[in-house]
Amino acid sequence: MAALVGLRACFSALQLSSPCFLHSSFKLCALPLSRRSFAAEAKKTYSREKPHVNIGTIGHVDHGKTTLTAAITKVLADSGGANYKKYEDIDNAPEEKARGITINASHVEYTTANRHYAHTDCPGHADYVKNMITGTAQMDGCILVVAGTDGQMPQTREHLLLARQIGVEHVVVFINKADAVDDKEMLDLVEIEIRELLTEFGYDGENTPVVIGSALCALENKQPDLGANAVMQLLEIVDSYIPLPKRELEKPFLLPIEGVFSIPGRGTVVTGTMERGVIKKGDDCEFLGHNRSFKTVVTGIEMFHKSLDRAEAGDNMGALVRGLKREDVRRGMVMCKPGSIMPHQKVKAQVYVLSKEEGGRHKPFVNNFMPVMFSLTWDMACRITLPSDKEMVMPGEDTSLTLTLRQPMVLEKGQRFTLRDGNKTIGTGLVTEIMTVTEDDQCNWG
Amino acid sequence: MSLAFLFRTLSRDAVKVSLCQHVQSLHMCCPLLAADKTLLIKLRKNTGYTFINCKNALEKFDNDLAQAETWLHEQAQKEGWSKASKLEGRRAKEGLIGLFVGDKAAVMVEVNCETDFVARNEKFQQLVKDVALVTLAHQQNKRQSQGGYVKSVLASEELGKLSAGEGAVLADHVALTIGRLGENMSVRRAVTVGVPADWHIGSYVHGGLSSQSEVAMGRYGALVIFQGGKEGEQDILGRKLGQHIVGEAPVSLGNMDDLPCGESETRLLPQTFLGDPSRTVAQFLRGQQARVLDFVRFQCGETSEEE
Repeated sequence: MAALVGLRACFSALQLSSPCFLHSSFKLCALPLSRRSFAAEAKKTYSREKPHVNIGTIGHVDHGKTTLTAAITKVLADSGGANYKKYEDIDNAPEEKARGITINASHVEYTTANRHYAHTDCPGHADYVKNMITGTAQMDGCILVVAGTDGQMPQTREHLLLARQIGVEHVVVFINKADAVDDKEMLDLVEIEIRELLTEFGYDGENTPVVIGSALCALENKQPDLGANAVMQLLEIVDSYIPLPKRELEKPFLLPIEGVFSIPGRGTVVTGTMERGVIKKGDDCEFLGHNRSFKTVVTGIEMFHKSLDRAEAGDNMGALVRGLKREDVRRGMVMCKPGSIMPHQKVKAQVYVLSKEEGGRHKPFVNNFMPVMFSLTWDMACRITLPSDKEMVMPGEDTSLTLTLRQPMVLEKGQRFTLRDGNKTIGTGLVTEIMTVTEDDQCNWG
Repeated sequence: MSLAFLFRTLSRDAVKVSLCQHVQSLHMCCPLLAADKTLLIKLRKNTGYTFINCKNALEKFDNDLAQAETWLHEQAQKEGWSKASKLEGRRAKEGLIGLFVGDKAAVMVEVNCETDFVARNEKFQQLVKDVALVTLAHQQNKRQSQGGYVKSVLASEELGKLSAGEGAVLADHVALTIGRLGENMSVRRAVTVGVPADWHIGSYVHGGLSSQSEVAMGRYGALVIFQGGKEGEQDILGRKLGQHIVGEAPVSLGNMDDLPCGESETRLLPQTFLGDPSRTVAQFLRGQQARVLDFVRFQCGETSEEE
């Protein structure tokens, strides 16, 4: 897996350095991954001077989401921040096989003065949910596109529900097609209405930035006030209003353990790829998982047989730990900053169940189904409890599930995992809530 | 002297009058605009039509709300049709299955739209409900004379011509919803069944949204016609069988004595029963003293994939 990831990262790095046209989705996959295992190389090949942010567009099909995306690339292409993509290029959203799951999405990348953006646009609700679960392009914020001629559509409610569901907290509104509205008061009314709706859905409707413009004008170089300038204004607002996601390096360190070795004369070394954070020689650490937990100190860090003072997220490293015996630790446990993460036995998760075409089962599953859950470096049998309004889950569906593990393992909100049964991958999911174990959850694990 | 005074008063009055008029015209102007705006919001809130149409309607009828509203409703039908023909070519493969079980009769319909956002919308669900009930009513009128088992499958064209009351046909309803939601839609297919008194209809809808109406809606639906079963438990039995049919997607019924042939079994009776993997459907039915006579399974978007 790591090798595959590396290959992909290298491949896209090559693509990047060559001036030829590159497919943005490649880069998108590579960005977070390259940070994982090839941090050292990545520093040389990427210039990451601008922070990266993922955004998306939502809105009614005819309100100009794609036109707006095209207009953004066009306006930024003039300042060298993007490759101009025509409407047709974006509109033919390729069926992307991201991690074996088919997602209809188009990805476009561009750079503003301050940030680098990956811009996602999907045709349907299910695609956005798949996006969230698989983590292909989680959205840090989104632009809601509304046509000034129509105002919000009845289904705009569903769009905002979706934004809530996939955890988007920052919405910017773009009122499009302003050139087709001759009465400015009507645009005000559209704005008032959309603000009311945002408030209704728990967003800060009063203070949500609203930009009025026309993506078509920007594309056709007409009426710069509504066209190019409005698009620039939108981008400035997106720059300032949508906050930067917290970087992996700033979080407390976490090392899922892949292997344990004892080195005669030195002690026991645990190896793995740093999931996040920075670790230094002499740091306190805690080992968790498989019903064990103890604290100790990191006495040495090594990478490629060389001693290091610190290792950061993405580094594949080994750590020498004081007083550790080989049999104390096993694969699947984690080494972390004391108290930063806890083992849990029961979680609520949003899961996408793979369809038969994607390699999943052709049969549905019902309550009490017992697959094996894989996450970080551990795997553990778990039992599925369906939500009360569901009796079964069909392949190709996304659903919320409660998972009870046989033993508590390291789990936290936002952690990704895979469910497998026999030799088939059934689904992939995202932990949404930690739950406490009750008496009823104890069952016979056969 | 007096003449000059008279002149002065006269001229002052004249100024006053003109001033008054001026003020009055100002007053006239302001409320006109304000009314326009509040009326526009009100009309839009009441009807849900697009801002531009609401504005046109108000302009046309001089801010007469009632007239504007009726005009909008009339216009919506026309616009729905023009929009419908405009969007005709666009692919609609999302949507909902609507299922309604009445007294010894049931209907299952598929209505498609472009995105699953719209499928979650109340207005679309209302359309699905209308289609289901209209189809059922139509079928019941037709079969009053016959008493036996009736199953009829209706295609898109026939469904469009069904009368939906008040002189409109079902296709008008669809066009109206297209105008409202701005997406292409179509009534793909429908099936209605009617059974004799001692038969039962079981049903299951999967992937359902919590809709409040009596018509169940979801992405998959199944109707199963069976005989027997324990008294009072037929509903649960029908539901279990329907669930199995949705889940395992059998193609044909098969015989009670057929031997199962592995995972890829497409006949219903020899399939492993979903609710109890240790038995086949046939064995389960024997235990319940029931007999499945027929079944129908709809999966949303499946026909458009085949085309």
